[in-house]
Amino acid sequence: MRYFDARIIENRALGNGYFVLRLGGCASLSASRPGQFLMLRGDWGRDPLLPRPMSLLSVAPEGRADLLGRSVGRGTKLLESASPGTRVSVLGPLGNGFPDPAASSLDLLVAGGVGMPPLLMQAEHAARRGLVDRCEMIYGGRTSRDLVLLGEMRALGLAPHLSTEDGSVGRRGRVTAALEARIEHHRTTHPEQKLRIMACGPREMLWAVARIAAPHAIECYLSVEEQMACGIGVCLGCAMPARSRPFRYACSEGPVFLASDLVIPPAPGRSVGGAP
Amino acid sequence: MTTSAKKPPGEEDRPLLAITCGGIDFRNPVLTASGTFGYGKEFEGLVPLSCIGGLVTKGISPNPRFGNPAPRICETASGMLNSIGLENVGVGGFASEKLPFLRNCGTKVLVNFFGTTFDEYVECGQQLGRLQGVDGLEMNVSCPNIKAGGIEFGRDPRVLGDLVRACRSVVAKPLWVKLTPNTSDIVALARACAENGADAVSVINTITGMAIDARTRRPRLATVFGGLSGPAIKPIALRMVYQIHRAGIGIPICGIGGIQTGMDAVEFLLAGASTVQVGTQNFIDPACSEHVVREVEEFCRQNSVLDVRELVGALADGA
Repeated sequence: MRYFDARIIENRALGNGYFVLRLGGCASLSASRPGQFLMLRGDWGRDPLLPRPMSLLSVAPEGRADLLGRSVGRGTKLLESASPGTRVSVLGPLGNGFPDPAASSLDLLVAGGVGMPPLLMQAEHAARRGLVDRCEMIYGGRTSRDLVLLGEMRALGLAPHLSTEDGSVGRRGRVTAALEARIEHHRTTHPEQKLRIMACGPREMLWAVARIAAPHAIECYLSVEEQMACGIGVCLGCAMPARSRPFRYACSEGPVFLASDLVIPPAPGRSVGGAP
Repeated sequence: MTTSAKKPPGEEDRPLLAITCGGIDFRNPVLTASGTFGYGKEFEGLVPLSCIGGLVTKGISPNPRFGNPAPRICETASGMLNSIGLENVGVGGFASEKLPFLRNCGTKVLVNFFGTTFDEYVECGQQLGRLQGVDGLEMNVSCPNIKAGGIEFGRDPRVLGDLVRACRSVVAKPLWVKLTPNTSDIVALARACAENGADAVSVINTITGMAIDARTRRPRLATVFGGLSGPAIKPIALRMVYQIHRAGIGIPICGIGGIQTGMDAVEFLLAGASTVQVGTQNFIDPACSEHVVREVEEFCRQNSVLDVRELVGALADGA
């Protein structure tokens, strides 16, 4: 982990507030793992004050790092409008990342909205090791405009299973329904196949993914997105209720957790939640 | 000229930054604030600890504490609210897991501590004060006094004075008290500390505040209220440091509140602080404490200040 200045060398708008920031001068990030993140801040004075945690989308040995953002608040709006040449401070790579792809298992990469970057990076990681056929992208958003970088996914050799809540593209409904369908498919066609789930997206989506994985006893990794100020285990803002002890920290112990290590709330509308 | 003549060759034009505050000799007046610098090791590789005056650890209680439910933090205009809940490893965990690193970290170490009862404060102060490698203690008196309906210990000058006296009687090392700004009379609190044996006061802790998400109609923190920190509170902190300094309570002040730059630190010195602590800025720029030291030195050089002590309380009259 290092703290350094980088420059935005490209800022590509993808529509609907999504953008890909390409940073230069990030050679120290070249060994980053999928799921790791950065604390990023522009030179924009005292407001907004805190750096923004952003997942890595990809890194290249020559010092390039790509991030996918969506302008939802003041900090991300400033990043969305940042011009090439803008200096940003970077602290990273931070956190643990997803486990390596493995020939022995099929990884279901479940991406919700702007939580997609670590999963595309995981797929890229798999592709580099000749294991892209050992992962399957399941990608959902509210509308077709929330599904971005599909070309990049296909270029890796992925055939993403898409879903939108409004049905504008792919399967109509939530990404979790698509996940259930894929599990069912694999259980029927290759019951001996070891499945793993790796997911990133809104909190409710992650909890739903964990509740789906538990009865199937599927190893399930969740990359959580929490509010944090520092990224290095100091502010203690990103406390996640955990099973082994009261809290675990998204920044220093995550952001990727085994779902079985976290306290997963019961599904909305149910009084008791036994799983996982 | 006399002071510069004492310096090693090549450093004649370097202003003297060393200062004694509250019974501790610091190489410069810039410390890092409790709760924003972990136990020091977290910043290894980000800041050379040997360049800062000192660090103040996360607040330690007699037993480990796990803290409050999430959400625990929330960004506000030029600041942030936190309600971490004083999570820490406890005295035993601190001594066995954290102190070995701090003993050789290259800077002065103050251990912030607290209790939830009078006896816990005394017990904690006594145990921490005996540890080798601890240069001084800083009492956090912004904790709710469970036996007094949850009012902060540090809000009532009489309760505060009693608490300081009790801790003083068992702590031989320098004992600082971090004052709560949630009061109408900061001078009375500072005086209660001075009269009961404290070596310095740290001014200020966070200011109680809250934030609301209008869309969900819910508070943004799980505990509703939290402590406001960051540049938003600097004017309040400066005012309180100045009031205490002007009252002449007889012990030095360590100024805290929204310091981001060397110039901010100098403002606190001018208001009457002998040392300062950099807090929330450590989250924004983990290398900031080093920058603040360098900028204080640069300010001195540019303003013909030979010794940083010249700045302490040197605020001129009038605007």
